[in-house]
Amino acid sequence: MVRLLLGRLAGLVAVLVAISVMVFVIFNVIPGGDPALRLAGRHPTQQNIRQIRHDWGFDQPLYTQYFDMMNHLFIERDLISYQDQTPVLPAIRRGIPRTLSLAIGAALIWMIFGITIGVLSGLYQGRWLDRVLTVVALAGVSIPIFWLGAVLLYLLTYKYHSWPVFSWIPPGGYVPFTQDPAGWATHLFLPWITLAVVSIGFYARVVRNSLLDTRHQDYVRTAKAKGLSPHRVLVRHTLRTCLIPVVTLFGLDFGAVVGGTVILIEPIFGLEGVGQYAQESVAHLDLPPLMALTLYGAFFVVFFNMLADLTYLWLDPRSRTT
Amino acid sequence: MRRVTGFLALATATALLAAGCGGGTSASGSGDTGAPVNGGILRAGIPGNPDHLDPALSYTNEGWEILEATNNGLLTFKKASGGAGATVVPDIASAMPKVTDGGKTYTFHVRPGVMFSAPVSREVKPSDVKFSIERLFRVDSGGVGFYTGIVGADSYAKTRKGGISGIVANDKAMTITFHLTQPDGTFNDYIATPFAFALPKGTPDKDISTIPQWRVATGPYRITSYVPHQSITIRRNPTFKSWTPDTPDGHLDGIDVQIGVTPEQSVNEIADGQLDWYFESVPPDRLTQLKAQYPKQVYPFVRNNITYFFMNERKYPFNKLDVRKAVNYAIDRNALVKIYGGQGTPTENIIPPGLGTAYKKHNLYPYNLAKAKQLIQQAGVAGAAVTVWGHNTDPTPSAVQYLAGVLNQIGLKATVKTFDESVYWDTIATQKGDPQIGFTDWNQDYPEGQDFIDVALNGEHIVNVGNNDLTNTNIPAYNKMIDQAKRMPLGDARNAIWAKLDYLYMKNDAAWAPFMNRQWPKYVSPHLHGLVFNGNYFELFPSMYLTQ
Amino acid sequence: MIDSPPVAAGGFRTALRRLRRNPAAIVSAIVLLTIVFACFPGAPLWVSHACNHGPSDQNIQGTITENGHKVPVVRNDGTPIGPGLRACYLLGADSNGRDLFVRILYGGRISLEVGFISAIVCVTVALVLGILSAYAGGMTDSAISRLLDLIWSFPVYLLAVALATAFAVHGIAVGPIHVASTSLAIPIVVIAIVYVPYVARPIRGQVLSLRRMEFIEAAVASGAGPVKIMLAELLPNVASMALVFLTLIVATNILTEAALSFLGVGVPLLTPSWGNIIEQGYQTIVTAPWLTIAPGLAIMITVVSLNVLGDALRDALDPHARLRIRN
Repeated sequence: MVRLLLGRLAGLVAVLVAISVMVFVIFNVIPGGDPALRLAGRHPTQQNIRQIRHDWGFDQPLYTQYFDMMNHLFIERDLISYQDQTPVLPAIRRGIPRTLSLAIGAALIWMIFGITIGVLSGLYQGRWLDRVLTVVALAGVSIPIFWLGAVLLYLLTYKYHSWPVFSWIPPGGYVPFTQDPAGWATHLFLPWITLAVVSIGFYARVVRNSLLDTRHQDYVRTAKAKGLSPHRVLVRHTLRTCLIPVVTLFGLDFGAVVGGTVILIEPIFGLEGVGQYAQESVAHLDLPPLMALTLYGAFFVVFFNMLADLTYLWLDPRSRTT
Repeated sequence: MRRVTGFLALATATALLAAGCGGGTSASGSGDTGAPVNGGILRAGIPGNPDHLDPALSYTNEGWEILEATNNGLLTFKKASGGAGATVVPDIASAMPKVTDGGKTYTFHVRPGVMFSAPVSREVKPSDVKFSIERLFRVDSGGVGFYTGIVGADSYAKTRKGGISGIVANDKAMTITFHLTQPDGTFNDYIATPFAFALPKGTPDKDISTIPQWRVATGPYRITSYVPHQSITIRRNPTFKSWTPDTPDGHLDGIDVQIGVTPEQSVNEIADGQLDWYFESVPPDRLTQLKAQYPKQVYPFVRNNITYFFMNERKYPFNKLDVRKAVNYAIDRNALVKIYGGQGTPTENIIPPGLGTAYKKHNLYPYNLAKAKQLIQQAGVAGAAVTVWGHNTDPTPSAVQYLAGVLNQIGLKATVKTFDESVYWDTIATQKGDPQIGFTDWNQDYPEGQDFIDVALNGEHIVNVGNNDLTNTNIPAYNKMIDQAKRMPLGDARNAIWAKLDYLYMKNDAAWAPFMNRQWPKYVSPHLHGLVFNGNYFELFPSMYLTQ
Repeated sequence: MIDSPPVAAGGFRTALRRLRRNPAAIVSAIVLLTIVFACFPGAPLWVSHACNHGPSDQNIQGTITENGHKVPVVRNDGTPIGPGLRACYLLGADSNGRDLFVRILYGGRISLEVGFISAIVCVTVALVLGILSAYAGGMTDSAISRLLDLIWSFPVYLLAVALATAFAVHGIAVGPIHVASTSLAIPIVVIAIVYVPYVARPIRGQVLSLRRMEFIEAAVASGAGPVKIMLAELLPNVASMALVFLTLIVATNILTEAALSFLGVGVPLLTPSWGNIIEQGYQTIVTAPWLTIAPGLAIMITVVSLNVLGDALRDALDPHARLRIRN
């Protein structure tokens, strides 16, 4: 187990190094990406452009520039952006609570609703409720998430904003929890819903299928035969087992949301979290924050995947042998 | 995506205030009922960080708007709207400079008693001004181009040692003298831009935007805190005492700028009373509704702007004059203004109407699709593949698609390519970027024909990287006329040459397809008054005041 | 692990029978066929018979007559005409005075093409990598697996946007092949690349378990070469899995096209796609909400149908073919 863990950690580091090299190479072949020109302003003199190249080290060999950037990112921790020369790490630190507020809240909503609906669906297998839920589940994963956000924002904060049911929904932005818990929740309400809707159905389906699989397993039958009440069987035996695949999936999804999906959601609602920072940096072809953010995103994806794998091993001893 | 980026264009002169509010040059605001009131904190919003809060480095509207309120130079553009705002008047200098040596020497007297704020807390000296201009070269400022005409500046740019020999500061006599390599009619304008604002000697050779102890103010306000991506706090500068009516004290006690407010959000928050003022103009799709609902809170600011399509004379098929003329005939300028929500005036001139006698309206290319088609046939380029470039800030994508549609109609094969605005300008300014035709606009750095004709059309300035002559136009006879005009003093004679060149370039070269002078409508809180839009520094914070 | 090979060539008939008994699958197949028909032969028919406006024909200064009144297609403040029961501008116009309904029909062509072609490229590359990796083993396997890990760990949208931006100025130039920067091939290639690991990994797993089965060992014993085994024995046995994945990947890719276009790095403007119609429409959502809402609904209906069909195909063909992509 320890060896496995160490191996996985080594793999994680290797992947992050490879990704950083990839990002660096991609951004050094883009013509519009020349930051010297951006720094030189509207009436650039050739001397000034040369000077900027020199001062910022753009005239150094690529590998020197790469190590220099890594040094500023990990050791000196004073990396600054090309676009407005503001420090990158404080901006990310500031974004993390916003992004986590969004992701954790949405995850709670989709897990609670997903599991409840999934269990109901499984218990009423084949009935109308089950069928409706199947279609709703597939509809959820089929919505373009940014579109859902944009349309909800338009309908609830503009078109029907005067209706008392919606008038409390703010038109985007973020309020820290420590400053105003109620404001924090109202500002995050729409983003949470948007992010959760695309997952609720999917999780409901996973729980349903897993529940159906488990119900026909031997030990559940044994428990029933022993005369335990159906309620006890469901809670004690079936649910626990059928949530294993959900945990694994959740690990993957949560990593992917924090490391990626937020890039589509945050700009719509102006949450100014890590995702919006990533979206802006990529639009500005601003390598330093992009480098930091890609590594951040990849870390979440790989780390949560690792966590999910390990949890799975721990929950389901059978899989250790294969 | 809608994203309003920092490098939006620079300023301009004429601010014709809303027709309903009456034009004019004095401060005027909605329901402006009498004398300004002092006190109150302005709640302001901005979409992203200003590029810099260092006068040497800032080169955006956002930065200059703030720096106008906090810092000063030897000269200033008169703190007024309209044509008056284009006049250069003394600020830290006690009078306009004495110009001698055939226009090659400028001597300023520095006014005693102008104070730097704490922790420097001392009088501004001529050597501080010299230091500040030399510092531009040491911090790789985007503004160095304005000062390379000073004797010794070129060699200082390379060595960065020993100072610029052509700037002589005498702290005892409180004078500073600039020696130029050749006469330059717009040197006073350069001295009035924030790049030449006075910073105390010893200011470090790096961006001071986030170094509080070096954000030293001379003006009525100072920046007390700047947290990137979060907020800028501006308060009264306690050491400030107005030394000239042209640099008055402010009415507001301060300004709290919230960073990260989207344009849509700003409209909603101003309507809900949570915000007083926003840096950007109104999103075009909200304008009609706002004008109907809050007619007294919407101001159409006019700047010296020209919005146009450029055609690269080095690229097929635009290397042919007939093709360039065809494009000028083929675009319906009124349709393009509609794409901009009606927020502009159609034009065929290069120079905007705000530049006095340098603007002489001409109408060489009335909308004529048949003629355009015929010119394309005549040039033998029918079916040529063309990529139209543009940036992605709304509504430019619609405008470039309009152009591409028109090019297809007249017999070319057009596609569209858009980039994020923050990288677009640099990409088209590189010969390697290779655009054939594309969207661009130019807003004045200073209110003079030179900033349009010389910057964008003088072939002597063509370079591979950082090229402002996007069309690669290079007509030696016209280059000569430009160089001659540049040495002349400001005034009608000089303006007449700009007006003539405007006509000649459009008639005989047609590498531009100008279509609009754009307006920037603004929506503010009903409590905010005293809005003055200066062409160079934009909205003036010291003039604003809040009522209950 | 001993398991019977999944449904092979002969089993497709059984699968088809199962599909026919699934009402959801039939409905979604009908919906999809309708959409494909409307977009491909339907779009030019509409233009030639109902309203003579192509998808890129602009009409900013034009007017149409409604209830005896002349109504401008685009008002002076830039607001386009809204939806209404009429032949032209059925769903209204956009700010360039183009017919939204016609653009959605033609945009569907591009979205479906991009989704479908990139799915084919993606699944093909994944099949090659997956089979090669599992069959060859050793260094080849490690190299391919690490490459897949790398692509997989890269946040999807960041990778896609980075690649798309990198190709945006000069296109792709690999040896003699040159792809123009405005070519549709760029979003197709980018979208295909990012999803390869999601498909290649389960295929590799499947091939690994197939390798240990008797019929492969028999083929090896009879002296068949590796290429022959991979093509003749392994490929047919992962075909049903690939088919299921293909359907689901088309759905995912249509969503990804929309997301990339929304981020401004997808299908170049002028050529309508559902994604870039939304992207442009969103700029004026307040005055012209239908420009955002209508193409989004088109995407949703298409993707739901593809997902239902993919689900049914999986149940019918290969219940083990699990694919999970997080958008």
